[in-house]
Amino acid sequence: MKVLVVDDFATMRKIVKNVLKQINIENIVEAENGKHALSVLKSEKVDLIISDWMMPEMTGIEFLKVCKEDDEKKKIPFIMVTAEGQKDSVMEAIKSGVDNYIVKPFTPDKLKEAIDRARARAGK
Amino acid sequence: MDVKYINPFINAAQTVFKTMLSIDAKMGKPILKNERTTSGDISGIMGLAGDRKGTICISFHDKGALFVFKTLVGEEYDKVNPEVVDSIGELTNIISGQARKEFEKAGLNLKAAIPMVVVGKDVEVNFITKIPIISLPFYFSVNNGAQEVMYLDFSFE
Repeated sequence: MKVLVVDDFATMRKIVKNVLKQINIENIVEAENGKHALSVLKSEKVDLIISDWMMPEMTGIEFLKVCKEDDEKKKIPFIMVTAEGQKDSVMEAIKSGVDNYIVKPFTPDKLKEAIDRARARAGK
Repeated sequence: MDVKYINPFINAAQTVFKTMLSIDAKMGKPILKNERTTSGDISGIMGLAGDRKGTICISFHDKGALFVFKTLVGEEYDKVNPEVVDSIGELTNIISGQARKEFEKAGLNLKAAIPMVVVGKDVEVNFITKIPIISLPFYFSVNNGAQEVMYLDFSFE
């Protein structure tokens, strides 16, 4: 499984990659924000997107909306990762078609569960 | 200060240590601080606003910060560098997010700013409030069994 990790903090991308490694996912591509991720998706075929919420240029929610309006990209399971655990944010992501939502802090098990659920929801 | 303002920070720090670092951090005795300065060598600072206002400051000594970085990222450095600094910023963001979630349970809505990280001892911090700062020390063991500490300093009203 190839995963696209989107976060403006290089260190946070490393943290997510470290957690993914613990659940045996090592095929990972990275992007710094939604805009960069869209450009990465032009050349990379990925099986899952894990995106941060707050990013410059194009936020996670804007990126999610673009993906879910595209016939091809909308098939890719999309997980939003954020420290923002408040209800309004969760509702906005759900309304925009997110396949799952994970609030930091999370354990490898919790991330694996989120991935399994997101893939099941997206019919993968 | 009302205990209902302290417990969300304790729960947040211990939950984040347990889930992100697999560490049981033991809280020491809370201290009332008169100096409005950072407690450790590297500190993540974040303002909170909404139903209440205040500031939290998550502070580590170099060795503790390096251990946290290694545990979070899986890479090891001997000295604090920009990546280690970023990781403390991210940890501050996560602890603050968890604390806001805890406050939400108590019916208080808070928004957070972007964390800022300062490197250096006794750096002066503007905690926004006029009331004293509460410093919560959380102890944890690093590789060689030595004790390290994370200070969660906050002022909240």
